[in-house]
Amino acid sequence: MKSLVLVFLVLLGGCANLRVVPLPRDAERYRPRTGDGWELSLVRYRAVGPVTGRPVLLCHGISANERNMDLDENHSMARWFASKGREAWTMSVRATGDSDRPDPSKGRTLPIRFDQYWQHDLPTAIEHVRKVSGADSIDFVGHSMGGMMAYAYLSQGGQGLHAVATLGSPTRLDWGTGLEKFIRTLGPKLVSDDVLFPSEFGAQLTAPFQTLFDDGPFERFFYNPQSTLPETWQRFIAVGSSDTAGGVARQLLTLVETGRFASADGLLDFRADMARIRTPVLVVAAKLDRVALTPSVKDGYRALGGPKRWLLITRANGALGEYGHMDLIIGERAPDEVFRPVLDFFTQHELPRTH
Amino acid sequence: VIAFLSLIIAVVPEFTVSYRRVETRDHVALALYRYQRPGGTSERPPVLLIPELGFSRAAYDFEGRGLARWLAARGLTVYVAELRGQGKSGPGLSLEAFGADLRDVLDALKVETIDLVVHGWAGSVVLASNAAEPRIRRVVALNTPLFAEPPSVLAEAFLEDGGRFSSLAGSPQGAQIFELLFSMFSKFPRGTDRGFLSTGTRDLSRPVAAQLLAWMRQGDLPLGNDSVVARLTDWTKPTLLLAGLADGFASPEQCAVWRELAHGSVRLRTFSRVETQEDFSHLSMLLGTHAPGIVFPLVYDFFGEEP
Repeated sequence: MKSLVLVFLVLLGGCANLRVVPLPRDAERYRPRTGDGWELSLVRYRAVGPVTGRPVLLCHGISANERNMDLDENHSMARWFASKGREAWTMSVRATGDSDRPDPSKGRTLPIRFDQYWQHDLPTAIEHVRKVSGADSIDFVGHSMGGMMAYAYLSQGGQGLHAVATLGSPTRLDWGTGLEKFIRTLGPKLVSDDVLFPSEFGAQLTAPFQTLFDDGPFERFFYNPQSTLPETWQRFIAVGSSDTAGGVARQLLTLVETGRFASADGLLDFRADMARIRTPVLVVAAKLDRVALTPSVKDGYRALGGPKRWLLITRANGALGEYGHMDLIIGERAPDEVFRPVLDFFTQHELPRTH
Repeated sequence: VIAFLSLIIAVVPEFTVSYRRVETRDHVALALYRYQRPGGTSERPPVLLIPELGFSRAAYDFEGRGLARWLAARGLTVYVAELRGQGKSGPGLSLEAFGADLRDVLDALKVETIDLVVHGWAGSVVLASNAAEPRIRRVVALNTPLFAEPPSVLAEAFLEDGGRFSSLAGSPQGAQIFELLFSMFSKFPRGTDRGFLSTGTRDLSRPVAAQLLAWMRQGDLPLGNDSVVARLTDWTKPTLLLAGLADGFASPEQCAVWRELAHGSVRLRTFSRVETQEDFSHLSMLLGTHAPGIVFPLVYDFFGEEP
């Protein structure tokens, strides 16, 4: 009986961490529509105090949403940039967060592919931010797949981005791990183009239990307790997750299957075309990122053809803890150890470009 | 009878470990150790193990544990060579001379073919210096970089200080630096990592530390008329490259790219704790708790593959 009470109390404590912290009162919501008919959720955080530079658009990764960039007042890249005089915007790609869900009656059908993210969602968000803010071009931060969207967009001549930072964004995932064999074998059988995997429901369902076990699978895969408190992770998983489009997962499977970073039809080789990118890019990697292993992030850095910088977050470079994949955006010290170098990079490239 | 058999088992050594001295063309004494199981060996070629710069034979055989004995227990004849600047060998003052030592070791062994295990930066130099060596049959490269990257803040400080492992062994702060560079996020049998720092390492010479630092900063090491990158780009020997995510001294992003440039001869295997019990650091790849269960079988199986 005592055990049951204990478990109940632990779960109750876990649930307490799951409360959704509302957006700040002055956050402004927008819903621009893509050319193919999807309304996207964008949130604007006006600069606090004097404006110090261009607006910054922040984009989440796969199975995630806009709350990745503004979890609460202590874990918010958006509010941090705003506090430094940079107007910040968060976005949710189609079928995630508060953006439109599939609705065949309104022409919003599955499959959704990664190509739609960079061909429609990202350009729509960029144009909207430019229009509302009046900026000729904006800066961009993409976490994981968000950074891959920037790579694809820029590699195909996309405009409007002045400087970019990618955080834990891989361009290939074939590194000979045992996990890859599993994905190669089962991935194509399990992943179907025409489904939306209920990863949001799954995350919410498991969230109360996620701090019960030390060194559990989520901890191993996604975050490092040296950098993110389990309670933060628990809240994050509850509000920052979204359903996963099967078509997106299927397209990105090629990163594992063949190492290619390419369009769904295979005709566009993003990695090869990244040599054409002239936009300055800061590539940030976490030493213990077990989703986007450092070689996979470095691969993207090497492919870039323009001004670029590599930043490896690790204790050997002065960080106070090692980082995993999600620590780059929700880590307790991310403002000092990640956001600050990103802002410095953007500031450094604020001067008019000569090319 | 049981007592008698127990006595026999206790008295008869599991291996014979023999030592010999090899003199190089320029008269530097190298230490060469042979591990052999009594009562015959496999028909496979012998295996030669080369430690990392600043490491000694202990990287492959520390307090009776390690890859040397593990392979020998499976019937292979195993050699560990301490090249100049390592372990009990003579002083090493340049990486070029370090890389050239392999030829003298192979001459002394008088073998037609040999399989090679190399580790870290020493591996890059040895392989690049001997890319055309016909006696090398297959290679396992552990955390072996192709493209050097600018060093981390700690690695830079360590090498600017002359690569003095002895200075790390004497203080908790030094031990922490050693951990972050060589044994981060790793599990070891009790006392192994600290013990190895104390007894398994040797200070780099100032010139070698400076050369290694310049290599990291510039991205390549000149060798004769070309460089490490040029020679390893044309690498043709069948090679298994193992890269540990937690390696702070020769990070996996410096190693993994070798596969892309080696025209199919390099097979890559990386580790992360999602899949295995260990991310593997520079040292735990060899002496970590999980190395015998995860890393060593890969080495043995690779050498046993048919061409």
